[in-house]
Amino acid sequence: MDKFKSLFYQDSLLEKLHQFQNTYGYIPEAEIENLSEKYQLSRANVYGVISFYSMFYTEPTGKYIIRICDIISCHLNESDSVLKAVKSYLDLKSHQTTEDKKFTLEVVECLGHCGEGPVMMVNNKIFTKINKNKALEILNDCM
Amino acid sequence: MLRAEIDGLNIELEEKMSILDAAKKANINIPTLCYEDGLSIYGGCRLCVVEIEGEDLLKPACATKIEAGMKIKTHSKKVRDLRKNLFELIIATHNIDCQLNCLTCSRASNCELKDIAEDIGLSKMRLAPIKRGDSIDNSSYSIVREPEKCISCNRCIRKCEEVQGIGIFTTANRGPETVVTTFKDRGMGNVECTNCGQCILSCPTGALHELYQKDSVLDILNDESKHVVVQTAPAVRVAISEPFSKQAGDISTGQLVTALKRLGFDAVFDTNFAADLTIMEEGTELIERINNKGELPLFTSCSPGWIKFIEHFYPEYLDNLSSAKSPQQMFGAVAKSYYAKEAGINPDDIVVVSVMPCTAKKFESKREEMAGDVDYVLTTRELASIIKSAGIDFLNLEESEYDELLGVSSGAADIFGTTGGVMEAALRTATELITGEELRKIEFEDVRGLQGIKKAEVEIGGLKLKAAVANGLGNTRKVMEMVKEGEEFDFVEFMACPGGCMGGGGQPISSDQNVLEKRQQAIYQIDKNKKLRKSHENPYIKKSYDDYLENPGSEIAHKLLHTKYKARKI
Repeated sequence: MDKFKSLFYQDSLLEKLHQFQNTYGYIPEAEIENLSEKYQLSRANVYGVISFYSMFYTEPTGKYIIRICDIISCHLNESDSVLKAVKSYLDLKSHQTTEDKKFTLEVVECLGHCGEGPVMMVNNKIFTKINKNKALEILNDCM
Repeated sequence: MLRAEIDGLNIELEEKMSILDAAKKANINIPTLCYEDGLSIYGGCRLCVVEIEGEDLLKPACATKIEAGMKIKTHSKKVRDLRKNLFELIIATHNIDCQLNCLTCSRASNCELKDIAEDIGLSKMRLAPIKRGDSIDNSSYSIVREPEKCISCNRCIRKCEEVQGIGIFTTANRGPETVVTTFKDRGMGNVECTNCGQCILSCPTGALHELYQKDSVLDILNDESKHVVVQTAPAVRVAISEPFSKQAGDISTGQLVTALKRLGFDAVFDTNFAADLTIMEEGTELIERINNKGELPLFTSCSPGWIKFIEHFYPEYLDNLSSAKSPQQMFGAVAKSYYAKEAGINPDDIVVVSVMPCTAKKFESKREEMAGDVDYVLTTRELASIIKSAGIDFLNLEESEYDELLGVSSGAADIFGTTGGVMEAALRTATELITGEELRKIEFEDVRGLQGIKKAEVEIGGLKLKAAVANGLGNTRKVMEMVKEGEEFDFVEFMACPGGCMGGGGQPISSDQNVLEKRQQAIYQIDKNKKLRKSHENPYIKKSYDDYLENPGSEIAHKLLHTKYKARKI
């Protein structure tokens, strides 16, 4: 049963999407077409699944994906000032990528550390209790 | 036997079914919006909720099976109040401001939302419409999408996927940002859409409609320097009266011709003439391929939705397609050559307008392989709207006859308007041409009716011809898979729309469940009433070959009446 389960998960559409996202940093069109054939879904359907999840991309992203939480508990701890600083430092809006393809900015809803806000995430790493200076330091470390 | 109670009525049912269907049997109408006969159950709009005794929550009637002993209330105060609230919320996503208002809406005269509002007794609207700011999708030659009107009932998605087997639409994003869109938001003109327009027939909001050419046609009719000719497809004459009479299955060929003459067309011709011509060309091609061991099965090429489908999904079979143009395109080519010569008119001054039950014909007329044959394509719906706006009392019009030369046709051409008709017309002519004997029974019952896939074996002078007929793209895919798996056919008729052209995406949107049966019976009746019932006996077809086209498959026939196809990516 467990073996069946693990096989099932390895082979599920979502698991494949994760693999492509990790490999390419986005899900290329050719892979969407392969998936549509494999799962007998229209490519519009696969696209629908991808667009449902905010951490999947259909276009190339920057090397670093910066996610800043702006939901109520982070907002009460002034995440908006962090966001403002990062936006002006990178000259980006949410969902945008810098011209040098280094940074993609995402304003997100909850990263699961509500007691330690404001929270920022760079690729897979979480930073808690940040302020605008710390945020800019983190960005500089990526440069 | 299953006993239950709906609204105090005791009902007995032979089999399990949804509460919605059980209520229908008891003559109780429960309002629905996302539900559509023939599509899967979505259960998204919740308008059909009902109260079931002993259950805390209201249940959607479409998605809940009736159980023995259930006591159901379909119109209690609780249910009615909730329905009104739900409808207010749904309508808030249907933006009807100045640019997109009810008066200019494609569904102005038969709005499903208005009907529902009446059915649920809506008396107030407390929410202003949400303006999402979505831009109109103008990418297609055939269909326009106005997403601001979309309420995400998903009927277009299910129609495209489940009936047509394609699936160009999806819901994208999540929560309040959820929208119905195409792959990567590319627009209908930039994806594998076949332009069949079945989604338009399913859309309750007018978010989908054909790309209008009615204003351009009215302009060209006012241009004195142009000789404007019109052709009408076989399926138009059995549906054009629906927007006026609100009933299906009336034959109004004569009124249609009178209305077109009154609108100012310089000549009113019939696509049927070109349908007879198609039979001569395609029939000759079939006989040639059988005799010379050419590529078989031969596939029909009349339906432009089917053509785009095979170009996208089965390009390896393009050689099986008949090279004959569709009747619409043949007509255009003949009007601008043969008719121009006979009437002594400069072909450059001739404008060809088509009236079609079809949205894909708009795309077809723009194909580079046949550009210039046909200038404008109106759907049956667009023509009805033009007739109304010209103040013509359609139902009471006297009848008139099509103009000669390109206006006379056989009953074989009339049945092109229904599934199986092209096959039957071809069989009538092929049998007589091959055997040289007169047919004893002219109707080929095996290819008649509304089934999605029909097969027939016909004996023609010692030759056993294996035929198949498929209508609705979902069924055409099934037949293509049969062909792929090696099932042998000689001749296959493919139509993109369920029922064939009479069920086309450009036809009036009917609330009659039996509209296709009624239109089909009307088409068979027209054929039956005609003296001339075989394409090769049409004297004007003979004349066109004698005077201009030489013979079927000749060099000039090939130049004017045949075309090429191309593989397209998905």
